[in-house]
Amino acid sequence: MKLTKTITLSFKILTAHRLRTSLCISSMAVGVAAVIVMVSMGRGAQKRIMDMIHNMGTNLIVVNAGHVTLVGGREKQSAIVTTLRTGDADAIMDHCASVEEVAPETSRKMNVRWESENLMTNIIGVTPAAFRIRNIEIEMGRNFDSVENDTAGRAAIVGSVIVEKLFNGEDPVGHQIRIGLAPFEVVGVMKARGVDANGVDRDDRILIPLNTAIRRLMRITYVQKIHIQVASSRQLQRAEAEIRQLLRERHRLRDKPDDFTIQNQATLIQTERESARTLTLLVGSVAALSLLVGGIGILAVMLTACRERRKEIGLRRAVGARRRDIRTQFLLESLIIAGLGGLFGAALGVFSTFLASALGGWTVIESWDAIGVGLMLSTVVGLVFGIFPASKASALEPIEALRAE
Amino acid sequence: MIKTVNIEKTYVKGSVSTHVLRGITLSIDQGEYVAIMGTSGTGKTTLMNILGCLDKPTSGKLELDGVDVYKLNDDALSALRNKKFGFVFQQFFLLERTTALDNVLLPFIYADRYPADAIELAKKSLASVGLEYRIEYLASELSGGQQQRVAIARALINDPDVILADEPTGNLDSRSTDEILEIFSRLHKEGRTMVVVTHDQAVARYAQRILELKDGQVRESSVANPQK
Ligand SMILES: Nc1ncnc2c1ncn2[C@@H]1O[C@H](COP(=O)(O)OP(=O)(O)OP(=O)(O)O)[C@@H](O)[C@H]1O
Ligand SMILES: [Mg+2]
Repeated sequence: MKLTKTITLSFKILTAHRLRTSLCISSMAVGVAAVIVMVSMGRGAQKRIMDMIHNMGTNLIVVNAGHVTLVGGREKQSAIVTTLRTGDADAIMDHCASVEEVAPETSRKMNVRWESENLMTNIIGVTPAAFRIRNIEIEMGRNFDSVENDTAGRAAIVGSVIVEKLFNGEDPVGHQIRIGLAPFEVVGVMKARGVDANGVDRDDRILIPLNTAIRRLMRITYVQKIHIQVASSRQLQRAEAEIRQLLRERHRLRDKPDDFTIQNQATLIQTERESARTLTLLVGSVAALSLLVGGIGILAVMLTACRERRKEIGLRRAVGARRRDIRTQFLLESLIIAGLGGLFGAALGVFSTFLASALGGWTVIESWDAIGVGLMLSTVVGLVFGIFPASKASALEPIEALRAE
Repeated sequence: MIKTVNIEKTYVKGSVSTHVLRGITLSIDQGEYVAIMGTSGTGKTTLMNILGCLDKPTSGKLELDGVDVYKLNDDALSALRNKKFGFVFQQFFLLERTTALDNVLLPFIYADRYPADAIELAKKSLASVGLEYRIEYLASELSGGQQQRVAIARALINDPDVILADEPTGNLDSRSTDEILEIFSRLHKEGRTMVVVTHDQAVARYAQRILELKDGQVRESSVANPQK
């Protein structure tokens, strides 16, 4: 039998039953779209995790002042808490054996001026250790050292967004800027790092020595965070316990709750993995369900067709169709429904993935193989649910079929 | 060319069994024009379906050109229906939402080879039944007589040896009937074997030979018209 003829024929028949064909196609489409969203989200989550590991290493503990909660996958810090001090960081360094390095930091959004340009950006006070712990690299100029930190020097390292916006792309090294009212000299430019897992642009910031930030600029006595590097990830749990113990003593908390939040990188990644898995599971079940509905739709449509089109089947058999010709035709119709569903689903999937990342702020990664997986699944569904009606149709004896009402 | 030996057919429906054909032995030669007559319910359609390999008897033998048909497999039977027979049914059996042309093309889809000039052949076939001006009409947009002529064009497309027609004019008025019968006469003159089931004497008059079906048996009828 001529396949192209059969395909044209199947198309003609399907367009003759527009409503139920399109119902079938839509549920297939939703299924395929869900599959694509699922795969893309899975990849996005994978990327977030890889990012976290790359930018902070795995042996990291973060102590935040006050309470940090996760809202929609993003960190949110409670109101300003002033009990975390640089002294705490030093004490952790001195008393916890497994701790290799500590990097306290504090940040504030401030106005920055250069000549007639000015903008608001995050000013982050850090110690030189932060560069090592958090993989911050210098692209141009230099880093500041501990002497500069101790003496509260007025050195600033700017991110690439600042170079673009404040200096209009010009090399800023050596220029004088004002942060708030205080003059600073730009000594270096950070290598671009992109957006972090919390959706914050890591290039839209200026790093200055922590002591300068605390004493000269912000005139505060506390820090917001301490990054702590542990020798190996196996010691994370023990180090966390030691740090908690130490901070509670230093803050004289006795029976009061913690006034700080300790997060260790391993648990953070674990949490991230789990929420990614939950999400994948959710979208996955939506996908499976709609594919199933689509499949059952195909089954129903083709079984109905099998009954309603008995005369047609009989006639085809009478003019020479073999059983396998009938089977092929029915299977093709199922596959066409599934395939069209797959194509619409691919479009819908790409669109919703785009929406999810644009509106929902999800890190999602579009990829051809997500679309491939979707299309493949729809084909499989078409085959699986098409085989039964097809063999049922082909089993009809010509004369029974012709006599049918 | 068509030969049956002792064909029996019993329909079993629940506890009721109907013994319709009770030993039919007949032979129809190449190029003959045969009418099968009999009162309603005597099994004419049943016999016709058996002759056209659309149905199988309960017992008995059918030979086509010396080949024992019931020794063939299902695919070979399909091929026989495709090449050897052209069917014309009382209810026409056209694909409804399909054009006259596509209906006529249908047997080609199941032929060994889809001819390159299929469309030309189909148009010619439609022209031979006088429907060249209705090619793109949907089956449902045609009159009964026109639909039956499309069915005949379809039956002719694969150039079959035998035309099997079951009450081809049963649903038509006398004018359409005459048109169909004219076409049948012409096909007969072209050398085709014609087997027409009817209970209409007027239709049977065109045949050379009339087989009378009664009580599950056949006998030659005296009103045959051999000089036709
Ligand atoms: N599928 C079937 N199951 C049971 N009985 C059947 C079946 N088909 C036909 N019969 C019975 O067999 C007998 C012959 O039927 P058939 O259709 O061959 O008669 P016919 O001679 O063609 O009649 P008509 O002139 O009315 O078309 C009838 O009594 C009918 O009820
Ligand atoms: Mg009948």
